[in-house]
Amino acid sequence: MLSYLLFFITVASILSIATLGLNLQWGISGQFNAGVVGFVAIGGYTLAVLSMPATERLLVQWNLPFAVALAASLVTSAAAALLVGLATLRLRSDYLAIATFGVGSAIQLLANNLEPLTGGSRGLVGIPRPFEALGAVGFAWAYAAIVLTLLALCYAALQALLHSPWGRVQRAMREDESVCAALGKNVVRLRLSSFVLGSVLMGLSGALYAGFVGTTSPSEFMPILTFQIWAMLIVGGSGSNRGAIAGTFVVWGLWTLSGAFIGLLLPPRWQAQAGALQSILVGLVLVLTLLLRPQGLLGARRAA
Amino acid sequence: MPILRRLAVPAAASLLVLASGQAAAQQDCPKLGGVLALTGAQGAIGKVIADAGKLAVDQVNKAGGVKGCQVEFVVRDDTSQPSVGLDAARFLVDVQKVHAIVGLVGSGTALQVVNSVSVPNKIPTVACCAVTPALTKLAEEGKTGGYFFRTIPVARSTALVHATTAIDKGYKKPVIMYINNDFGNGVAPDTKRAIEKLGGGVAGMVPYAENQPSYRSDVQKALAMNPDALILIGLSQDGTAVLRDWFALGGTQNVILHNTMRSPDVLKNVGEKFLEKAVGIDNAPASGPSADAFSRDFQAAYNRPAVGPGLQTMYDAAAVTLLAMQAAPKLDGPSIRDALRAVQDPQGEVVGTGVDGLKKGLDALKAGKKIRYVGATGPFTFDKNGDVIGPMLVWKVQGGNIVTERTFTTEEMQAIEKKVGL
Amino acid sequence: MIAQAIVDGLLSGAIAALGAIGVTFSLSILRFANFSHGDLLGVGAYGALGVVLLTAVSSAAKTLDAPLGPFSFGWLLLIGLIVGIVVAVAIALLLERWVYRPLRQRAADPLTLVFASFGLALLLRSLILLLFGPDPHQYSTEIQMALRLPGPVLVMPDQILVFVVTLGVLAGLWLFLQRSRHGIAMRCVAENPSLASVAGIDTAATVRMTWIVSAALAALAGVLYGVTVQVRPEMGIGLLLPLFTAAILGGVGSVPGAVLAAFLISLAENLLSLVMPGSYKPLVPFVLLLVVLYVRPQGLFPIAGQK
Repeated sequence: MLSYLLFFITVASILSIATLGLNLQWGISGQFNAGVVGFVAIGGYTLAVLSMPATERLLVQWNLPFAVALAASLVTSAAAALLVGLATLRLRSDYLAIATFGVGSAIQLLANNLEPLTGGSRGLVGIPRPFEALGAVGFAWAYAAIVLTLLALCYAALQALLHSPWGRVQRAMREDESVCAALGKNVVRLRLSSFVLGSVLMGLSGALYAGFVGTTSPSEFMPILTFQIWAMLIVGGSGSNRGAIAGTFVVWGLWTLSGAFIGLLLPPRWQAQAGALQSILVGLVLVLTLLLRPQGLLGARRAA
Repeated sequence: MPILRRLAVPAAASLLVLASGQAAAQQDCPKLGGVLALTGAQGAIGKVIADAGKLAVDQVNKAGGVKGCQVEFVVRDDTSQPSVGLDAARFLVDVQKVHAIVGLVGSGTALQVVNSVSVPNKIPTVACCAVTPALTKLAEEGKTGGYFFRTIPVARSTALVHATTAIDKGYKKPVIMYINNDFGNGVAPDTKRAIEKLGGGVAGMVPYAENQPSYRSDVQKALAMNPDALILIGLSQDGTAVLRDWFALGGTQNVILHNTMRSPDVLKNVGEKFLEKAVGIDNAPASGPSADAFSRDFQAAYNRPAVGPGLQTMYDAAAVTLLAMQAAPKLDGPSIRDALRAVQDPQGEVVGTGVDGLKKGLDALKAGKKIRYVGATGPFTFDKNGDVIGPMLVWKVQGGNIVTERTFTTEEMQAIEKKVGL
Repeated sequence: MIAQAIVDGLLSGAIAALGAIGVTFSLSILRFANFSHGDLLGVGAYGALGVVLLTAVSSAAKTLDAPLGPFSFGWLLLIGLIVGIVVAVAIALLLERWVYRPLRQRAADPLTLVFASFGLALLLRSLILLLFGPDPHQYSTEIQMALRLPGPVLVMPDQILVFVVTLGVLAGLWLFLQRSRHGIAMRCVAENPSLASVAGIDTAATVRMTWIVSAALAALAGVLYGVTVQVRPEMGIGLLLPLFTAAILGGVGSVPGAVLAAFLISLAENLLSLVMPGSYKPLVPFVLLLVVLYVRPQGLFPIAGQK
């Protein structure tokens, strides 16, 4: 039981880092990322590709240590965010949404096709994991410790940022951009920094997951992940870092448990449609929350 | 946050219930875990596959159970997402303390579960529906500890039959169109290599992306190679679309299809008149008492024919695992793992499917005798990597029905494998 | 091969053009990126499918389904097309009333509307999944044999019809936008919404008309797509990126721009797939989008009032 809880907490914490990133982008600086899964994938694949030991069919066989590969994944997700951000942040706000949507699908496509680099549709198996020598139990505890530490660091850093002048300007910009521009703030640069930082967190999340599981493949990075992270943020209350983490745990818990309950709650005829029903539920949660409870289910929009 | 506080009590309550349920369960009664896609993209087929597994468990229980207990089959949904599948497997092993895992639809889930749960926790895992060669590779590198098995033939076997059929039919320059995913990328290159090793040639290879709006340009690329035949390796959805465009653009009727397209829907959507010369390959359920018994029992239990991917392989995965649990001296990972091969003893008494067959097997094992399980997929043996090679068949369309043209026995398949040297 | 690629590009570009017009309207008149637009195509296609599937239960339907001339469909599909258009328009107006208008009245920023459309896209797609299942459908199981034109270029009669219909619809739309009161009102609001309302144009009515026109075009595009390719629940999302790219490349708010851009993108996709593996085809719209955003974000035919 304990080992399952440890596992669950590890995965939920990894996902929380991505949600914190989305919170920074949407909750705090009001930018819409429609391709969260793309940035998560970049982080995951960077770590995987750089860590893989020498394998004949792979182009990159550098077998870098975990910490180095992790740092590299931050760099690649930042680069991708810059590419998209520089293109769109001077323009209308919904162009970012369209561009990030493109990133989401493009990354999955590239991962699936660039076989010498990413292993193609087969993915990469046997990613070296840190502390593997400690055995299964030792690894679980060690990795959980790494993840929780990183989560705490990210949370603390984001809280500090939020209360800093930078954070105040971001929130002001969200409320009324023209005022900020009139006051002489470089709106584009502020937006970019928030967007890139958020994306870096998403990449970190992806890298941590790949390192935890030891395998990666294009099938892990399907569009549904974008909707899941959004749901986690919305349920927790966008704008609140604490809400982001809480929302992640709640939504992930429900999602994994739903498999157990669908069998109990639905009559057999409907069970096959449960997947569609699940998606309808997520869609409804997103739309209804907007209409009826914009501060989210758990938190307040202007919370600490 | 008020809502968190409100959730705390029910959350604690459910945890207590789970923990107590686990404590109350007898630790020495066999528990079988299933990780399947019951919802999501693969949900439609996953649900039926779960039923096939359930049938095996029910029949074993009717035949007296394993080690004096009724076997509990706990199925968890991976919602067609690998990370959820991993969580499900972790839950099954850590919380519900299953002794083995069966199922695993899709390579993403299979890889994650095997890598993170089966191997570290020493849980024998018998996959019914994951064909990725990556798992064979893992086994070859010694990274599975022998805990991974599958009852579904790897891509390689189907490639061998594709190749042999092309050569037998005298196709000199077939073009291979294949879906650019894990499955297609496994079968297609092997098919090309096999054809070449058997002395033939290939006009070219044309991969196509899955879930595309149209395959017309891919078909045109293939046609531009002037092939005399088409070997199509894809799933039924895209395969149908490709075939339709192929014929519409004037492609030849010399077509070899994969087992994914062996269905009345494909027949209907493509049209019989175009498929007169088409043949396809598939795993051969032994046309014998075992396979027939399964089909009958499945129809009787669920009121639907045993047609569809993964049914026979799932039944066998569950059945062979339960037999192994009976044969194993102790209900732990290493013992069950070794027993999984032991119940395929070539000198053993032949034991089939159905309540009677399984009872015969269980009783023989209880009496300390050796058995050889012949399942719904026919006779099969696990090779050193946990993969199976079994009999295959070639089918064709005749009078609106799908009929078998010829079969390859396990021995013949092994001979071809040796000849091709893959 | 090049001739074939060009012809394919023109024929599939026609469908994209119909969809892109709706997107350019929503970006210019409704002022937000509508992520559920692709699913309106799906709704139209599935609405028609519902009618066509009646052949399973009604013999009157079966007779109406008999193919007309060299084409693969019969009168039944034309009825289905009308049904599809009606359903798509109805859904668009309902969503406007229940979701978009309340949000706009709350002075929500445009991104909130984008967010809502995101969730609605998921909803619409899941509804289609629920009602029709995940398998693809054809309007007709008959396979049409391609015509051999000089080139050699292989073309289905259906594709030619799609092209001709699109040209006709575009001509009709042009007249509507140039001559009719509603059409002119739409163009005014697209160029300068504040001036338009000062001049007495009923923005609410214009918004409704925009939804009607966009949804109808989307439904038509969906059905035409279903006729020439197939009907799948995810057909909408796959088309979303090319449609957005076309609208932006053409210049947001410009109908001729969107049409031209749609053809350009489609031609590019088909010509490029001659030299690169077909699996990379979906990347073409994304790369084009980035290029446009970096090099000329206002598009080919920028409209004065748009950013």
